[in-house]
Amino acid sequence: MNTTTVEIILIIIHSLFFIYAFFAIASYVILAIISAVETKEYVKKNSFVNYKEILSSTISPSISIIAPAYNESLNIIENVRSLLSSHYVNYDVIIVNDGSKDDSLEKLIVAYDLVKVNFLINQQIPTKPIRAGVFKSTNPAFEKLTIVDKENGGKADALNMGLNISNNQYVACIDVDCLLLENALQKMVKPFLEVTDQKVIATGGVIRIANSCIIKNGKLLDVNFPEKWIEKAQILEYLRAFLLGRMAWSRLNGLLVISGAFGLFDKKIAIEVGGYDTNTVGEDMEIIVRMRRHMEEINEKYKVAYIPDPLCWTEAPDNYKIFISQRNRWTRGTIETLRKHRKIGFNPKYKSLGMLSYPYWLFFERLAPVIEVIGIIYFAILMALNEVRWDYAIAFIILAYLFTVLFSIVAIYSEELTYHQYKKKGTGFKLLMISLLEPFVLHPFILYAAIRGNMDYYFNKKKKWGEMTRKGMAKAENN
Amino acid sequence: MKSYQYIIDYFENSPTIIQVVWTMSGVFLIGVVILTIYLKYLRSRLRKDEKKVAEYKREYESDLITYLYAGNDEEEISAEQQIIIDKLRSCASDEFKRSIIVSKLLRLRNDISGEMADAIQKLYFQSGLIAYALKRLKSKKWYVVAKGIREFTQLRVKEVNDEIVVFVNHPKREIRKEVQLYLVTLFHFDGLKFLDILQTQLSEWDQIQLLEVLQRFDEQEIPDINPWLKSKNNSVVAFALKLAKIYNQFEVKDALIELLSHQQKNIRVDAIHVLSHLHVVEAKDILKNNFDNLSEDEQIEFFKMLENVFESSDESFLLAHTTHQNFEIKLLALKIIKILAIEKFVNLKNFSTDDDYVKIYEFLENN
Amino acid sequence: MSDVKKIVLAEDNTTLSLLLKFRLEKEGYKLLIAVDGKEAVELIEQHDPELILTDIMMPYISGLEVISHVRNKLNKQTPIIVFSAAGQEEMVLKAFNLGANDFMGKPFSPNELVIRVKRLLR
Repeated sequence: MNTTTVEIILIIIHSLFFIYAFFAIASYVILAIISAVETKEYVKKNSFVNYKEILSSTISPSISIIAPAYNESLNIIENVRSLLSSHYVNYDVIIVNDGSKDDSLEKLIVAYDLVKVNFLINQQIPTKPIRAGVFKSTNPAFEKLTIVDKENGGKADALNMGLNISNNQYVACIDVDCLLLENALQKMVKPFLEVTDQKVIATGGVIRIANSCIIKNGKLLDVNFPEKWIEKAQILEYLRAFLLGRMAWSRLNGLLVISGAFGLFDKKIAIEVGGYDTNTVGEDMEIIVRMRRHMEEINEKYKVAYIPDPLCWTEAPDNYKIFISQRNRWTRGTIETLRKHRKIGFNPKYKSLGMLSYPYWLFFERLAPVIEVIGIIYFAILMALNEVRWDYAIAFIILAYLFTVLFSIVAIYSEELTYHQYKKKGTGFKLLMISLLEPFVLHPFILYAAIRGNMDYYFNKKKKWGEMTRKGMAKAENN
Repeated sequence: MKSYQYIIDYFENSPTIIQVVWTMSGVFLIGVVILTIYLKYLRSRLRKDEKKVAEYKREYESDLITYLYAGNDEEEISAEQQIIIDKLRSCASDEFKRSIIVSKLLRLRNDISGEMADAIQKLYFQSGLIAYALKRLKSKKWYVVAKGIREFTQLRVKEVNDEIVVFVNHPKREIRKEVQLYLVTLFHFDGLKFLDILQTQLSEWDQIQLLEVLQRFDEQEIPDINPWLKSKNNSVVAFALKLAKIYNQFEVKDALIELLSHQQKNIRVDAIHVLSHLHVVEAKDILKNNFDNLSEDEQIEFFKMLENVFESSDESFLLAHTTHQNFEIKLLALKIIKILAIEKFVNLKNFSTDDDYVKIYEFLENN
Repeated sequence: MSDVKKIVLAEDNTTLSLLLKFRLEKEGYKLLIAVDGKEAVELIEQHDPELILTDIMMPYISGLEVISHVRNKLNKQTPIIVFSAAGQEEMVLKAFNLGANDFMGKPFSPNELVIRVKRLLR
């Protein structure tokens, strides 16, 4: 190879990096703007809806909360109690005990006066079989509660069992340890009922981080800002993702993922597409992509709605080990989903799903960490060869850093103007500090976990399958 | 001074792209600084506002209570009441304070009835608050209009009816909803007349809210819902079906039967559901004879109807559908046979080897 | 002689609470006001009132839980009147099952409440 060829190749590589960075930044800016427009509209719309006054009546559509539980003995009684305290009237709670090896079932039986009942299940989605049976309470105060004990099959399999068992029109799939506010179901079901010109197939909710918050008897009493860097940084990350990212995507009707911790689905469609995929660790993303794909294929106008209100609170990992394993799993889930549905990518037949959402996820979610690592390696090689123009490099690094910080502050800003959850004096300063530090205290770990996820996906099939049968849910690794 | 010159020289001698990068960094940095300062200001303002709101709330609350207990039988408005009216009137010119006063009035009006509720309304008129709400109706911003209508609904101000009905077919969903709630909250079933002229779709959410408002009233005298069942607006038909069910409108059964051939499936399904609720036996034969042409949803709904109105003459029909491919229909067919003719049911034990059939049969055997 | 009868009122509409407090104190009762179920339970445990008035839907601890706490945890037969909004029939039934003595549907007239309070405290 002569020098000019090498130079041309280098120029191409540099241009690709540059174009990628340019589009990444541009997409962030555009998403932020769209989300601002959408947030404003949403706040206006909701400023005069009195949820307390409405939909406590029995005419409202029926909802089942489906919560899979795996080895949750420690908190299960409290968690179930919290799920039972919703202010919505027409709903029930289905707890699927997914082959727990602990005493969850025994504890539930005692606490809620459960007895085994004869229950006919319409097995529309195949699942692992029932183990001890289906239980209902003899106490009328808990008539909304159904407990299903089945053999272990993973979270997706447990949710499918719930879908089979539910007799209701809508299903809320949630993590059992989530704390739902009392009006969460009212708010989440609203999009299904108020849209008349298209079909709403699912509504996604926001996940808020409950670390350090005061929770008693399944009720959120006080919102606090936690102390650990990793927790604070995740709060910032969630604000960015939910208040800027998802808000904008919902405006574009391009949401590809509803958080597995809290989403409401049209049960009929969820069953029509075959329920959750038990062969992926990213079942929450996969089912949405599949439902969307299905709607595109039958050519019906549809929408995935999104409610930005802080309705669902959950404990986030508070140490790096658990955090990394969670993000590793998320990475693999994304890869699996995108691969499984690669047919829709860049396929004009699937309209914005194929031409916008899919490419965005592929380039800026799926490939981002890979490209970042390639960049770092390339930079390291240049350093080794002493080819770095340090003044230029520093200019770019500073630009990237300032952009990240600015974007985080915009997210905080959005939070203050809408929900203003962190009211206490001094928290504003803490939020700003973490905006400055987050690129150092959290981002490297996210990158590391994503790379581990890629490695595991491509080179460590055993881990993938080993985890499938044994894993319960995010929280199982947490305790 | 020298280093300053050095920086400028450096910048000018850099390639354009680096100049752009430094410029953008500068812009971002300024952005970060400005937003940081503004955030500080915003947070303290929000905190202050919250404190102020609490303060004003307490103040107006006690004014309101004083006003309500200061009335006497001799005068229309007592002197003590007039003082409070005047005070609130002057406070109301401030938008921030007005919103707090109004919210307090509405909250209380929602929870109490009788003389005191009337007194609250009087206060609303006398203090000039009503004029501000009327001004809202003229606004170009949809949410301001919607809020204005809502205020009139909650304070039961019937006098503004004419100003509000013009919005019945407003393009914005939220405004239409407030109008509907206004009409029904104040004029009950009479308010439903807007259905005659409604051109837009009445969402499921709207329907539920209207029904909920209607159910608060004791009067059971329903206007004739026949015209709505025949409406060209499908959502009005769907709503009329709900009315027919809740208020047991047996007299509209002919219109209901006609709806069995409506062009929209969910209306046909709902019609079956209401006919079943009303035990209209003649609908059963119509559907039975046409069963194979029905969609699966209608078939399921029909079997639910059969559960209510079956007769021994349905036996062969039921037997024929114990092997229907739909789980629910199979279950209902077997279930009804078990009630209708237990000896036939016993004979059906090994009728089919289909998994679902066996499961359903065993379940029914044990229950 | 502490002949003044104590009433705990749990209601998250503070204006209504204040209004009822005035009204009932005019009748010679002592009113203790709670803005949510949590406070109500604390007041009940502290003061052992002669009557409890509670809204069904409140933040943190619902009226139903307050009733259940009084009847099952404290084992008290203190008369309880619940307030309910329209469309909460099911909750009212539950409240009665748990041991409530009477209910008032919102909106209600304060005068009527006084009559019912007097009847229960006679």
